Parts: sequence; C-alpha cells; structure tokens
Amino acid sequence: MPMTSREYAWKRRPGWWLRNRRYLMFQLREAGGVICALYGLVLLNMLVQLRAGESAYTAFLDLLRTPPVLYLNVVLFALVVWHALTWFMLIGKAQPIQFTRQPLPWKVVFGINVLLWLGVSGAVVYLIFGGI
Amino acid sequence: MLLEPIFWSLFSLGGFITAFLFPVTLFLLFFAAPFHLWPTDPAAYSTFGGHWKEPLVRLFFFVLIGGSLFHGTHRLKFMLMDAGFKGRSAEAFLDVILNGVAIFGSLGALFYAVRGWLF
Repeated sequence: MPMTSREYAWKRRPGWWLRNRRYLMFQLREAGGVICALYGLVLLNMLVQLRAGESAYTAFLDLLRTPPVLYLNVVLFALVVWHALTWFMLIGKAQPIQFTRQPLPWKVVFGINVLLWLGVSGAVVYLIFGGI
Repeated sequence: MLLEPIFWSLFSLGGFITAFLFPVTLFLLFFAAPFHLWPTDPAAYSTFGGHWKEPLVRLFFFVLIGGSLFHGTHRLKFMLMDAGFKGRSAEAFLDVILNGVAIFGSLGALFYAVRGWLF
C-alpha cells in the first residue's frame, strides 16, 4: 500500500488562549518573544543613530526616555523578563541533553539556569558595558 | 520546506540568546539612567560610543539583534496563524515577510558591527 502524506489539521480556534490562565501565560511568553524582536529592531536603529552622530543618537535616546515611551517600555520589559523566566522553565521540562541517568527535576534545572543567568548578566555588565 | 529546520534552529538559538542576554542589556540601556538605578548612564553617547569601538561589544550586539529577530519573527508567525492566517499561501506570505525581516535585520546589524572596524 503506497504511503500518502497527510497534513496535520490546524484545529485551534482564534482566541483559544483566553480559555484559561495557563494558556494565557503561555501566550504572554509567546508575546514576550515577539517583543524581543521588536527590541532587536530598536537596538538596530540605535546603531544606525550612533553611526549618524551625537545629535541623532541623543535625539533617539531622548525619545525613548519621554514618559509615555518609557512607561510603555516598562510593560514590554516585563514581558521580556517573563519570556526569559519561562524559557528557563521549559529547558528543565524538555531537557534535550540529559546528563544524568534520570532526568533532573525541572525546578532544579530552572534554578541552575537562573544562577547561570545572573552570572551571564554580571559578565555582560563588566565585559560589554565596562562595569559599574 | 527545505529551510524549515534552519529557521527552527535559529529560533531555538535566538531563544537562548534573548533569555540570557536581553534583560540585562535592556535594563542598562533603557531603564538604569532614567530611573536612577545606576551610577552612570550606560547608554550615553560618550559611554556607549566608547564601548562600541571594542570588537567584543560589536559581536555582542550583532548576536543579540540577529538572535532576537530570528526568535521573535518565528513566534510571530505562529501567533498570526493562531489568529487566523491559515492556509498555504498565507503561511508562504508570512514566511517571506517575517524571515525577510530577520535576515535583512541581521545583515544590517552585521553591517554596522563591522563598519568602522573592518572597513
């Protein structure tokens, strides 16, 4: 009997993520990922303005620091942090590389990743931004 | 179809990059000085421009921008499909637009990372 390919039917309806809190948290994580791309474009524009000179760069920075943009950034930053924390949670649940005979409890892996995150953040402060 | 594993891999790599590197970077550049949470302004022209001369800093921002774009655009694709952009042509359209943003955005970051350093 010849093999035929079958496409997986897309069953989820629009708004499925509003049905309960877990789905909503999942979708907020997804939104956090999209916000990261938005910030990627903001950083790219920052490099463009840096290249353009001090006045262009300072004007761009001043725009980012006007109260409406600044407070919008606080909300978006919260989504970025939520994205990071839930990413560390899912590493513990997926564990593509298993170092031990039994998979480690996901909370242990989450804790290790958070410690690693703090270490990496400290390294970024000193190596990229020149320290405090 | 052929490129799908590559985009999934870049999505996953971008997830690690954004999770580990984005919060501290955004905090220092956008919130530290305006909220008086840091003794200096890491985003100030003289400060950031000074650090920007270092190759490691340029590499860091190239990786950060590229990783975030490949991660976020891939997520946006599936969020839009959830929202009703279904079917082969809709998916192909999203692939072209969103992967185009990720590819050209990353190339733009690479250009600014090497401009003034290598040429």
